[in-house]
Amino acid sequence: MMIEQRPAKVGPAGAAELGAFLKDASERGDVLEIQGGNTLASMGQPVQAAHTVLSTQKLRRVLAYEFENLTVSVEAGLTLRALRALLAERNQFVPLDAPRAQHATVGGTLAAGWLGPRRHLLGRSRDYVIGSRVALADGTLVAAGGMVVKNVTGYDMSKLYIGSFGTLGVLVSANFKTLPLPAQARLFTARLPEHSWLRTLTHVGELEVPPTAALWVHGFSKSIAGDDGTDGRVMILLEGSAALIERGTRELRAALGRGGVPETAIHNEGARDLFERALDGYVAPTGQRSITYRIFGTPDNIESMVREVYGLAREHALAPEAIADILNGDIAFRLSAKDARAFAERIEAFDDALHASYARAQIIAGQSPVRPSLNLWGELPPAIEKMRALKVLFDPARILNPGRFIGGI
Amino acid sequence: MFAARLIEALGADAVKTAPEDLAVYAFDAYSQALLPSVVVLPSSTRDVAAAVKIANDCGEPIVARGAGTGLCGGAVPAKGGMVLSFARMNRILELDTRNRRARVQPGLVNLDLSRASQPSGLFYAPDPSSQKVCTIGGNCATNAGGPHCLSYGTTVNHVLGLELVDDAGEVFHTSIDDAGYDLTGALVGSEGTLAIICAADVRLMKLPEEVRVWVAAFRDVECASQTVSAIIAAGVVPTALEIMDEIIVKVVEASYQAGYPLDAGAVLLVEYAGFANDMNEYEAAIEKIASENGAISWRAARSQAERDALWAGRKGAAGATGRLAPNYYIQDVCVPRSKLPAALAAVGASARAHELTVGNVFHAGDGNLHPLLMYDKRDCKQVGAVIDAGNEILQACVDLGGTISGEHGIGYEKRDTLSLVFSTEDLAAMARVREVFDPKRVLNPEKIFPAGVSCGEVR
Repeated sequence: MMIEQRPAKVGPAGAAELGAFLKDASERGDVLEIQGGNTLASMGQPVQAAHTVLSTQKLRRVLAYEFENLTVSVEAGLTLRALRALLAERNQFVPLDAPRAQHATVGGTLAAGWLGPRRHLLGRSRDYVIGSRVALADGTLVAAGGMVVKNVTGYDMSKLYIGSFGTLGVLVSANFKTLPLPAQARLFTARLPEHSWLRTLTHVGELEVPPTAALWVHGFSKSIAGDDGTDGRVMILLEGSAALIERGTRELRAALGRGGVPETAIHNEGARDLFERALDGYVAPTGQRSITYRIFGTPDNIESMVREVYGLAREHALAPEAIADILNGDIAFRLSAKDARAFAERIEAFDDALHASYARAQIIAGQSPVRPSLNLWGELPPAIEKMRALKVLFDPARILNPGRFIGGI
Repeated sequence: MFAARLIEALGADAVKTAPEDLAVYAFDAYSQALLPSVVVLPSSTRDVAAAVKIANDCGEPIVARGAGTGLCGGAVPAKGGMVLSFARMNRILELDTRNRRARVQPGLVNLDLSRASQPSGLFYAPDPSSQKVCTIGGNCATNAGGPHCLSYGTTVNHVLGLELVDDAGEVFHTSIDDAGYDLTGALVGSEGTLAIICAADVRLMKLPEEVRVWVAAFRDVECASQTVSAIIAAGVVPTALEIMDEIIVKVVEASYQAGYPLDAGAVLLVEYAGFANDMNEYEAAIEKIASENGAISWRAARSQAERDALWAGRKGAAGATGRLAPNYYIQDVCVPRSKLPAALAAVGASARAHELTVGNVFHAGDGNLHPLLMYDKRDCKQVGAVIDAGNEILQACVDLGGTISGEHGIGYEKRDTLSLVFSTEDLAAMARVREVFDPKRVLNPEKIFPAGVSCGEVR
């Protein structure tokens, strides 16, 4: 019987140690799997034949918190929850909004280029990174950007490292600009009867005081507080001054009423914690009989996207659950079957049908054994050859997460 | 031969070779001028691709150009060759107001996009002072900023995707929504050295419900900048926080009668755009901080006309210095915001040491300084003093944890000072990107990188 050898795990505790490790690994040609909190591990192909798992979890120092400048520099292994707690002490935040914040690291979240629900208003994680330090494949430590909020000094290399899934270099630390934390947050949850939810979505998108996030969640009962999720519900986050929230509340209640929503629950205490928990649904454990996809569209077509995906799921006898991000126009949906075998039989045909409509559909969670035969990243981007050429120059020996990213990068 | 082939492919109307035409494209808003061998005015992406292929065949370098408002020589054809002027590609291709985005050609004037979006309640946020003439393509190439970056971010935060022509004349597309590397983010701000932007998808924003503008007067620029540091430290982020010192205010008032107080050592222009509900609270908070830091007066603009006049004065400030000296040199540095007073002190000390008059007008909220050093370019001694003072200011700001360009770019001017900020290894990583996109260094050569940085260091 063949026993699969599990790769060794190393966790350098500082930039210099990480650099030295990479230098040795590159000289030996050892393939590395780079790991933060392992929360988005189901995005992309597993790294093939990894020799060593390189963990960034010991890189968790706060290098500089210049709160009076609204900037912070932290090491890659710091968890999102720790970063949030640090910044909250000074009434600041960075809207990274990735799932499983207690485990997710700054480095992993940036490497995955995670897109959270508040980006329609506040921007993406890449919009908050003002500088970074990266260990290249040969161990060289390089800096990009700085600790100032406006900077056009040379190429903005941080943009390339963010969202590169560790295939160009290992993020050692990142500098962020922070935002003042809005004085108050209020989370609204409401059950949505089947006939009313589409109308409701439209109304929410037209509010004068825009919510910072608005999700329609159907299913995901174990990861999201409240009811069992069978009807689906909206979760809407308002953040701002007390006066603005009161006004937003009036507008939102009127809009929900027009949409046919009878009752709304309001959470003032712990609103942000509840919101953070909802994010966990994106990567909620799925076992071997389900897979979670994410598709991207525009706010004005979100309802047709939901209808289409649910129709496809039913055609393939798969049970759908969804988190529809109303204000950004993207949907994460989990498809399940009663047992792993039935699931395996159906998901491949579904995968083809989904990509025929949504060429860029990605898989973000799920460990079904049929995974390798699915289209994990969606269609290749038009500039894939430029991307491949970058990979060749940055990691000629292909030791950094080889094969994990789109197009086998 | 080169010009003849271009004429054959694009028509005589799109190709300029007369000396008087070439002279117009020899410079931008930087002092250096170098002649191109030919100027091409494409009308489409296809024209651009065709022209680049011909330039390649003929071994000629290629410099893309918007309105030529850049201050660092980014559009100067440093090694001659072909200048691609986007003056004829100036249309809005698509205005998708429902999803708040637009697709535009690179030659579109920045302000024209906001004007076109306004009836739908939208605007394009990045607003360089030159927005009445500068183009979106040039803005993308330099990752242009502007006074409202404080709240809205710079150009890169508003570009969703690009259509480009590469060094070989092939068209390619990028989008921040595509899986794969964020080429859009890397290409914005690359100053025409990686590819030629032929169209841009940009984000539009909802017009704010209410806008208020206030002017505070201070005894000196140190008090004004201390106020800005205190406002940011208090976690209050207005839409814009701009400072002008006494020298600048006087010339602005002489030129524009904008409404700034003339009896102050410095004025602070504050704008807050947002919801009506928050205005009074914001005003009270900011006024209190200003008062605690020595404001001698505080005034709110009472009408749209007053606000417009104040902004027209602010955005016209650099040009207004023509009243003081035949020439000015505008420096562009950025420091952490708590270091503003120290950076201004360094600027003042440097100007005094070189016996130069300096005016300060800057995006204080971002820590982005723009000292204007006045001089007469016919006086070699003054020119030398300006160069020395400019370099001292760069070094001082780097020593304070800052950088050598906040929003104007590196271009031709600052390429030899890039090493003040970055190590050889840092620069070699950037050179790898250049190597992928432009291995033959035909796209805007002699820009950004110090002469020594090449692919040789990559291998």
